Amino acid sequence: MHEFLAQLFNGIALGGIYALIALGYTMVYGIIGLINFAHGDVYTLGSFFALTILTALGVSGELHGVALVVDVAIALIGAALLCGIVGVLIERLAYRRLRNAPRLAPLITAIGISFILENVMQIWKGPAPVPFPAVVPNPSVMIAGVAVGAQQFLLVGLAVVMMVALQLFIHNTRLGRAMRATAEDRDAAQLMGININKTIMLTFLIGSALAGVAGFVSGVYYQSTWFFNGFGAGLKAFTAAVLGGIGNIAGAMLGGFLIGIIESFATWKFGGQWSNVTVFAILILVLVFRPSGLLGEAVYERA
Amino acid sequence: MRISAALAIVLLSACSGANNASTSKNTTTTTTTAVTAAPSPAPPGQVVKIGIDLPLSGGDASVGISTEQGALLAIDQAQKNMPRGYTLQGEGLDDSVQGVHNPEQGVSNVRSFISDAAVLAVVGPYNSNVARAEIPVTNAAGLAQIGPSVVADNLTIGPEAAQLRRTNPSWNTFFRVCTTDSRQGAALAQFARSLGFKRAYIIDDNETYGLDLADRFEKDFTNDGGTVLARDHLAKNTQDFKSLLLKVLAAKPDVVFFGGVTSTGGGLLRKQMFSVGLGKTAYMGGDGLADLATVAAAQADGSYYTLAAPNAMKLSAAQAFVKAYRAKYNADIGPYSANAYAAAQVAASAVVRAIRSGHGTVPSRTAVVANVASTKLETPIGPISFDKYGDVTNPVLSLYGFKNGQSYFIRQIQLKL
Amino acid sequence: MIYAYFLVAIAVVVVAQRLPDLRAKRGLFLLLGVALLCAPLFDRNDSTFNVLADAGIFVLLALGLNIVVGFAGLLDLGYAAFFAIGAYTYAMMASPQFNLHLPFWLLLFLAAAFAAVFGIILGAPTLRLRGDYLAIVTLGFGEIVPQIFQNLTKYTGGPNGIGALDFPSLFGRSFGQNTIPYYYVVLALIALALFFAYNLRDSRLGRAWMAIREDELAARHMGINTTAVKLAAFALGASFSGLAGVVFAAKLSLVSPDLFQFQVSVLIVSMLVLGGMGNIPGVIVGALVLVLVNNVVLPQANTIAAGAGLHVDFGNYHFFIYGAILVGIMLFRPEGLLPSRQRKEELHHAAA
Repeated sequence: MHEFLAQLFNGIALGGIYALIALGYTMVYGIIGLINFAHGDVYTLGSFFALTILTALGVSGELHGVALVVDVAIALIGAALLCGIVGVLIERLAYRRLRNAPRLAPLITAIGISFILENVMQIWKGPAPVPFPAVVPNPSVMIAGVAVGAQQFLLVGLAVVMMVALQLFIHNTRLGRAMRATAEDRDAAQLMGININKTIMLTFLIGSALAGVAGFVSGVYYQSTWFFNGFGAGLKAFTAAVLGGIGNIAGAMLGGFLIGIIESFATWKFGGQWSNVTVFAILILVLVFRPSGLLGEAVYERA
Repeated sequence: MRISAALAIVLLSACSGANNASTSKNTTTTTTTAVTAAPSPAPPGQVVKIGIDLPLSGGDASVGISTEQGALLAIDQAQKNMPRGYTLQGEGLDDSVQGVHNPEQGVSNVRSFISDAAVLAVVGPYNSNVARAEIPVTNAAGLAQIGPSVVADNLTIGPEAAQLRRTNPSWNTFFRVCTTDSRQGAALAQFARSLGFKRAYIIDDNETYGLDLADRFEKDFTNDGGTVLARDHLAKNTQDFKSLLLKVLAAKPDVVFFGGVTSTGGGLLRKQMFSVGLGKTAYMGGDGLADLATVAAAQADGSYYTLAAPNAMKLSAAQAFVKAYRAKYNADIGPYSANAYAAAQVAASAVVRAIRSGHGTVPSRTAVVANVASTKLETPIGPISFDKYGDVTNPVLSLYGFKNGQSYFIRQIQLKL
Repeated sequence: MIYAYFLVAIAVVVVAQRLPDLRAKRGLFLLLGVALLCAPLFDRNDSTFNVLADAGIFVLLALGLNIVVGFAGLLDLGYAAFFAIGAYTYAMMASPQFNLHLPFWLLLFLAAAFAAVFGIILGAPTLRLRGDYLAIVTLGFGEIVPQIFQNLTKYTGGPNGIGALDFPSLFGRSFGQNTIPYYYVVLALIALALFFAYNLRDSRLGRAWMAIREDELAARHMGINTTAVKLAAFALGASFSGLAGVVFAAKLSLVSPDLFQFQVSVLIVSMLVLGGMGNIPGVIVGALVLVLVNNVVLPQANTIAAGAGLHVDFGNYHFFIYGAILVGIMLFRPEGLLPSRQRKEELHHAAA
């Protein structure tokens, strides 16, 4: 029981990161039907931005009190903002021209962008893993005999807050309605006077900003980052989005946490080398037996 | 920084070899005639090359680039020893395709070295399975190949190695300056026992180097009276090892043994030991953990690793190398920079000796192979000479530990073969 | 020198595509074939034919994936899995691993059949899914297969893979370390693949694929058994990959899981998109261009630059250059370098 809980809490924390990344995948996929392969790299970029900001602030270790709140806020918001801008730029430069091209064309562009981002990051911080300062103290509390760190709480809390905020935004604001309308039927939305370009830009801005948040969070949590991290994390976050029902915000969140927990349990029970196999096998099974994902709505063939 | 340093190297080497601006096509033809019609002295401006085959892009870049730089530094420095009229060049080819080291591309690179008559020896590859694909090709062509880091036993010894040499069974063209899994595994097991560790939890990165090393350690540690609690492998493409470490925590080991290198998870694994409450447990691995502190910093304290060389702190060649590397690349050496430097030194010195013994003519590849086989050289990783399988003859292994994020020498042993 | 081969081959295919006369087109292809057959008589550079044989294996893969993606319009992001199945079939049945030494020529067929069976096993439950979901299922499959090969160390040699595979032999003569025989085998298989690909395209089945690609619902109402037709595409496409896998393994004399990663699947899809999906000459051009970039230009970027008087270290920029090429070509020519006339028209209609 003790180990079960320990693994569960670990999986939830890991899942929080996947969930934050998955939100970006699911939003972009929902609105323009693109598997944005570069999204995982935007997540890594987030940790690089955060690291750079922290270094510029002179932070190299644990922070306390006001400095903790201020510096973390600056790094978090800065990383999110910069990632958002990068996301918008990518959409503007690489995807917009291809909106009416064959469906696969933007996918290849996305792969190209992913390679470019990885290379830029490699040259920026070097090819080896880079240490990330442990800015947030990590005192632990005991829950049913299992030590749970403060960082784990913060990570999960942040992910949930982000999702709720996003959900409120999408359902209760004009811009959010525009996004939903565009996802439903782009042409009809345009006829109704919605500015499609602006709406898609907004989608990329929010999705990428969330990836930036995830980048910062994972940097703090793992105290390390690496230019190639986005590849694996991106693939799993995408799996999470599909598991939850692609295009569905709450689904991405649920999928993220589930993938995190599954990965943790698979490592525990089958060994680390089988964790990826388990995750992807579940992906296949879900798609075969419940292709709309756990929370997805009825799937209709898009023309 | 890296770019400007690299630029500087290229510019420098271009200046030092005044005549190497002549087109490569020309030099290639002259070399070919020189090889076939042996005793004609080299014309001034003769270019000879050492090929370098390593993974340089994508995820593998983390170890490949610093390894290549070690080799290039040695080639650069060897320039001053070249007989008159000769220019030594290093030609690096990337064996990773789309970011993954690729045996097929390795073979393709080696074949392109073979077809360039100016190439007299090859340094590389980095990965064992790339080596497994390349050795039969260099064996067939009679081109000397010196591996800086591939440690799998069956590349040089045993029936599998014989299979790799099946085109020219009597002939060995593959040498390595690193140790082998069985030697390092044996040394690590001895060190672990001497440090008082009884219960080990063994983890590897599920890559060729790490898996084989962990296998050897598991066997030798058990033979030496230790208990192996469990064996586990890391997942690919993840940075979360906490789940695995929670299992380790439950097993209560004295030491966590890691087969692998810092960048394939060795660094993160150590860091995450602290967050699950294993910070006080010792951590140990092979030469792949030599750069552990670059990721784990002060959390590297309490970790141990071996190097297949005598005490590097006392080797003047090692000190000089680290200094020269820093001066040239403005970066700290990578885990295999020194090995690659030594491998390129071996290659360059064999080329020089082959030229000398041929009275200044361009030597044949066969002569270079013979000269590599008879190498006796001081390098940053200790004195190097080869046995008949192509492995180093003097298996001294040293144990290092970390204190305040700095590595320090503990002691060394000479293995009995 | 190696560039000459690639550029000539690409040029010939491009010119042939533009010729309106079918006979002239065929003639040109035949000429290219004969030239490639004779090339080893005049060029003694082993390394060239090694690269060309590798390129040929990718042409085979691209032709196979083109049946699935180009003809039938099913996006397969895990094609490397079938390649791995083909390669491991050879490695396990023609090596000291299990002390089985079946002949290369038999294993060509066996592996093609195996791969096809796996194609059906994967396809049967998933082909009713809508296109995007199929892509993701295949992606997952492509991730799983090499990891299983990596983890089942007892049978597959684990991360080390299986080495020292048997050399194929013909009329009692072993291929050994020579690259030329492999080069000829690859040429022969490409000819075979082209024959199949063209005939399939123009067959009833081929027309059914295209009908599905354009409008699955309409195709079903026309009485096409869409599931059976899609399965056929999956199985046939996979069998090409199985064939390619056997040659690949035999030529390298080694298989290991890192040869069949996700990146390989992506690479083959890129070849199709780049060249022009569905168009056989386009696909060949796409494969040749990317092999040229990946296997020839990038590894030698430094040397080439130095030859041009440029002293820049390109080693650090491989991914950047490669990514920029993908992005650039897609932005400025999203229909691919050499699209089929039909596809161009489809695009025009979509735009209109």
